[in-house]
Amino acid sequence: MVGTPVLFIAIPLLAAFLIPLLGMIWKESVRIVPGLVLMYLMVLAVSLMGHVAHNGPIIEIIAGWAPPIGINLVFNAFTGFLVTLIIFMGLLVWLYSYRFKSNVEYEPARKYFILLMMLVTGSTGVVLTGDIFNLFVFIEITSISAYALTAFYTGRDSAEASFKYVMMGSLASTMLLIAIMLIYSQLGTLNMADVASKIHLMDPTLKAISFILFVVALGVEAEIFPLNGWAPDAYAEAPGPVGAAFAGIVVKAMLYALIRFTYTIFDLSGAFNLLIIIGLLTLVIAEVAAIRQDKLKRMLAYSSIGQMGLVMVAFGIGTREGVFAALFIMLNHAIIKPLLFFSGSYLVYHSKKKYISDIDGMGKLAPFTSLLFALGAFAIVGLPPFAGFWSKLSFLVAAADNDMVLIIALILAVSIVEIVYYMRVVNRIFFFKRTTGLLARRPTFNAYIVMSVLGIIVLMIGFFPDTVTGYIQAAADSLFDKTQYIHSVLTASIQ
Amino acid sequence: MDNTYYDLLTYVVYGSAILVMLIGLYAVLVKKSLLKIVIGLSIVDSGLNLLIVSLGYLKNGTAPIFSKGFFELAADKPMVDPLLQALVLTAIVIGFGVTAVALSLVIRLWRHHHTLYIDEIKNLKW
Repeated sequence: MVGTPVLFIAIPLLAAFLIPLLGMIWKESVRIVPGLVLMYLMVLAVSLMGHVAHNGPIIEIIAGWAPPIGINLVFNAFTGFLVTLIIFMGLLVWLYSYRFKSNVEYEPARKYFILLMMLVTGSTGVVLTGDIFNLFVFIEITSISAYALTAFYTGRDSAEASFKYVMMGSLASTMLLIAIMLIYSQLGTLNMADVASKIHLMDPTLKAISFILFVVALGVEAEIFPLNGWAPDAYAEAPGPVGAAFAGIVVKAMLYALIRFTYTIFDLSGAFNLLIIIGLLTLVIAEVAAIRQDKLKRMLAYSSIGQMGLVMVAFGIGTREGVFAALFIMLNHAIIKPLLFFSGSYLVYHSKKKYISDIDGMGKLAPFTSLLFALGAFAIVGLPPFAGFWSKLSFLVAAADNDMVLIIALILAVSIVEIVYYMRVVNRIFFFKRTTGLLARRPTFNAYIVMSVLGIIVLMIGFFPDTVTGYIQAAADSLFDKTQYIHSVLTASIQ
Repeated sequence: MDNTYYDLLTYVVYGSAILVMLIGLYAVLVKKSLLKIVIGLSIVDSGLNLLIVSLGYLKNGTAPIFSKGFFELAADKPMVDPLLQALVLTAIVIGFGVTAVALSLVIRLWRHHHTLYIDEIKNLKW
């Protein structure tokens, strides 16, 4: 082992606070240090995943207080899978934005990288922690840095978008804290495994109330309808790489929290149907809203919300195959949506209003970016040789196994809507005449690398899905095995 | 003070903490000034913190501080829950952070629009 899971939280947090100091000595270090940190964490994540595959989950005890008293971190196949995904996306976002604001000023770059480090700290913390109050703290770390990153550009209406996000996020965190306190006042414990083993002792009404509060609070953060009013504005107004970080990092971590509560902590039988209903509502409304958008980033944001709805439905099926499909869709979305954001933000780079009509005929001016955008669009709607096809197929198979005919019909109908609005954009890029005199922005060298890497991964998962399905299967099994989770945490002792 | 009064007092304390939260919620949802919305968010946080602290209160409880003579004192008196107090400290700090971010956004909005009236700031659909 190269390290322990606590380093996923400690090192980026330390880096975030050291960046301003290092920047005083050598300005370039502000840009280099986050990359070094993320590369180290990537190595750590991969080696710990290997360790977990052979020796079982790693339970790390913080400050020498064994569970259920102290805080513990859990690194098993499921959390490890998400941590690896988050760190990998963080690395790509860093690489893409390495030259971010380089020609303008030193000051914005410094703030940007501090906030990016905080975002990674919070998101990995949410995924790794085994304590509900600690989860609340990490959710707050993530959302406060997300508020600040949304308001990054001073010129646009970003402060307005961010204020909306703060309002909803702050009320959501209050609800989350109320729910946590309800559990604590009933069970006298905050450790997830301990709560899960005692949840049947809780008063049924209070249990239902606290579950609903959790769903509402985490629904705000994970863009679930009808609590996602902040998402389209935040995606549209934030810098391109930040939109990618939201789709690839923040939303994944928040969705993890929601799933952990539904699957491990609560034992409510109606919870899965609730997930299916809100998932379907989110999916249908988001896709219908997406087709009406005239701005590219808003369209991508609504599509992102729709994908989250699809993931919710897949989790709501409640079988092992459903969880497998949900994790597969999450992985694909985490890779494809940043690709669309990266390439899309170059396509509308010089356009002031970022309208979809501004990218007419972009295919001739910027063939590489346009091609990657088209690849992302094909992949996310689930056309056969690309990554999205396999996840959608596994989802439909899981739904068919449970005779959910209506859901299958609805998903297929919504997929057609999805195909329509993505193909409309691709059609505009390649077959429309250029009407505006705007030139294409040449991507930086790093952006070329990042987009190519994402494109290659999309193709690789598309042609050889076996390379990832093993990990996803292990992750799904580990989420499903509730008793093993409880047992492994509660019997953990200080080595 | 017998137990009926004590129970009544508990409900009064819980009720007033919830009332504070509702007042804050009212400000967030109804008021048109950005500053009042931020104040409302802060009031919601304070009400919740009051509620959490009062959950940990015990009648005749002693402070959870390990000091000289602690065991003699703890023998006949229960200890109030220290965890909730620690949680409230954390929650206060987080609430402070959120308020600071929200206020800095209000300053940005003022510079951009020269108004704090929410109906006049609608470049994005509210």
